[in-house]
Amino acid sequence: MAAGIRIDPYLVPALDGVAYGLLVFVAAAGLVLCFGVAGILNLAHGTLFAIGGYTAAALLDGGWPSLALALVAGTVAAAAAGALVAGLLTRSAARSHLTQALLTFGVALAGGSLLVGAFGPDDPPVRVPAALDGSVAVVGHRYPAYRLVFIAVAALLAGLLHLAVRRTRAGMLVRAAVDDAEMVAAMGVSPTRIRVGVLAIAGGLAGAAGVLGAPIIGPGTDTADTVLLLSLVVVVLGGLGSMAGTLLAALAVGQIQTLGVALAPSTAPFLLFAAMAVVLAVRARLPLAPRRAT
Amino acid sequence: MSLSFPRHRRARTAALLALVLLAPTACADNERGAPARGAVKIGLLASLSGTYQAVGKDMRDGFELYLSTHDGKLGGRQVELVVADEGNGAATAVPAATKLLKQDRVVALTGVVGGGSVAAVYPLLNETKVPFVGANGRPALKDVSRVWHTSYLSDEPGEAIASYVHDNVDGSVYAIGPDYQGGWDELRGFTEAFVKAGGRLANPDGKTTFTPFPATTNFTPYFARIKASGANAVYTFYAGGAAVDFVKQYAQSEIKDLPLYAAGFLTEGGVLDAQGPAARNIYSVLNYSPDLDNAENRAFVAAWKAKKDGSPTTYAMASYDAAAVLDRAIADAGDDPTPERINAAIGRLGQIASPRGTWQFSPTTHAPVQKWYLRQVRPDGRALSNTIVGDLATVGG
Repeated sequence: MAAGIRIDPYLVPALDGVAYGLLVFVAAAGLVLCFGVAGILNLAHGTLFAIGGYTAAALLDGGWPSLALALVAGTVAAAAAGALVAGLLTRSAARSHLTQALLTFGVALAGGSLLVGAFGPDDPPVRVPAALDGSVAVVGHRYPAYRLVFIAVAALLAGLLHLAVRRTRAGMLVRAAVDDAEMVAAMGVSPTRIRVGVLAIAGGLAGAAGVLGAPIIGPGTDTADTVLLLSLVVVVLGGLGSMAGTLLAALAVGQIQTLGVALAPSTAPFLLFAAMAVVLAVRARLPLAPRRAT
Repeated sequence: MSLSFPRHRRARTAALLALVLLAPTACADNERGAPARGAVKIGLLASLSGTYQAVGKDMRDGFELYLSTHDGKLGGRQVELVVADEGNGAATAVPAATKLLKQDRVVALTGVVGGGSVAAVYPLLNETKVPFVGANGRPALKDVSRVWHTSYLSDEPGEAIASYVHDNVDGSVYAIGPDYQGGWDELRGFTEAFVKAGGRLANPDGKTTFTPFPATTNFTPYFARIKASGANAVYTFYAGGAAVDFVKQYAQSEIKDLPLYAAGFLTEGGVLDAQGPAARNIYSVLNYSPDLDNAENRAFVAAWKAKKDGSPTTYAMASYDAAAVLDRAIADAGDDPTPERINAAIGRLGQIASPRGTWQFSPTTHAPVQKWYLRQVRPDGRALSNTIVGDLATVGG
């Protein structure tokens, strides 16, 4: 069979891996911001994504205005939920990761139940704008139009995020807070404000990913867990230091989940975690690189 | 790891269980089967929370519909129906069943969504010697002397449609399904009968492709493999959220023009609404469709629609039939319908008139010998519906 391997059948999975990877990136970027920058382990992150997904399902009606409305509403709702989590994390609780994990875990439980209570136990249908509800020809293959556009939009989001962290005052403050939180506090910027801000922005990112990604990882009772798991894998693979690392890790996860499955379907259940184990094993043998912020 | 486990549901189920266990035990001292003069107590166990709550609620509603259209009586006796929550599976089903069997002392147990739950409750049934008329999940069991099912065995849908697919597909068929017991059974039923009929599988190694369950949400890589295999049609079985993902992605994939054949659960009930136009033209095999033309079904569908939105599902129908089975068995069990006598009476039922058409219990498996129907998803007014296209094989036994 080795001679029979052709590239052609794997083009679509490879392209799909990019779409999937970028979605995972936008979702995981929030978690990296929280954990890597603010030092907060937010296990309710997947729930924030689910808020965006359910908002999309509730508001999308097949037209463009509804997509814009859903994007704004989903982002704002998830950002508000993120700020709420930050509010719950009092200064004392913020100190230990175990306390944070327990608290945000509880928030995820309660949030998940509230979502199911509000939207029902069934996976709700998501209607994308009619113009994108079809497939287009890509180098001789059919590929969903929505996913193609999603790749462009998510790439734009990734670029904006990079610029925001590198170039804006807020981004610099946040990076400064990682390097030396006490110094930033001494400069008159409240760490609480940074924490609330970071969690709200992370929530907004998750919400936006949830809305835009709803046609790919649809809202449902398992969505929050799936997204949290994938985001944590990205955090482990990409490290907490940089958005570039996160992007690479997310794209790798995307390819493992699509191209990897297409190439070796029988190993599909283990591929992701095998990759994670390899990265951890390799990293353990390397001298510790100094932690950089972005 | 616990991250992939639906935690919130567990917590809620635990709270529900706590309530259930705290409930007063007023009837505990009564004789089993005689809570009041002439009345009988029936236990219904179904998923009212968790992943399968849509199925569980359909089953509860189907049973209650039979009661409400029969003056609340089975076999001429007033029925006290005790409903308990099966939750996500064995862990929650066993305590709920224990309460029904040992505390409420029901004369018969019905419902149960999951095959795993049935297997876990099975020893309790043997211990209490209470007959079980299941309406859905059916695991492999050694001794079915007290176990009856109004649903089907998991390998029967595929077995029933195999020769039709062979006759109507010019070329090879790709078989794909979820990687768990239900998926293995459903696909094995199809592939064995299909190959026996002379059909050829398009899968490269001649073996069904199984996708990790429930982790698979993106089927694009599998569609690429199906395309590369040169298949002329696809046979599959998915249910719930996976069915929605599979169908929606299939409709936008490069194999969207390949005919899709499936076990009926792919497009049954709520998932069809979520799939929307993507489900159009899918062929599926099931033991029921709401548009079946017989007197029992017309009455059943009319009564269902008077109370609910939409059409009844096969889950509701099977539970409705479980009530019909108990109705006739209790009537036949004499003046003192003990669990033992009801069980013996079920074995004497013979032909059972049902919304699905007439069927009977197989003497060996205690599951229905019934006709299967070919359905296609077609527009029905503004909504989509599974429309009967023809009869398939009679399978069972």
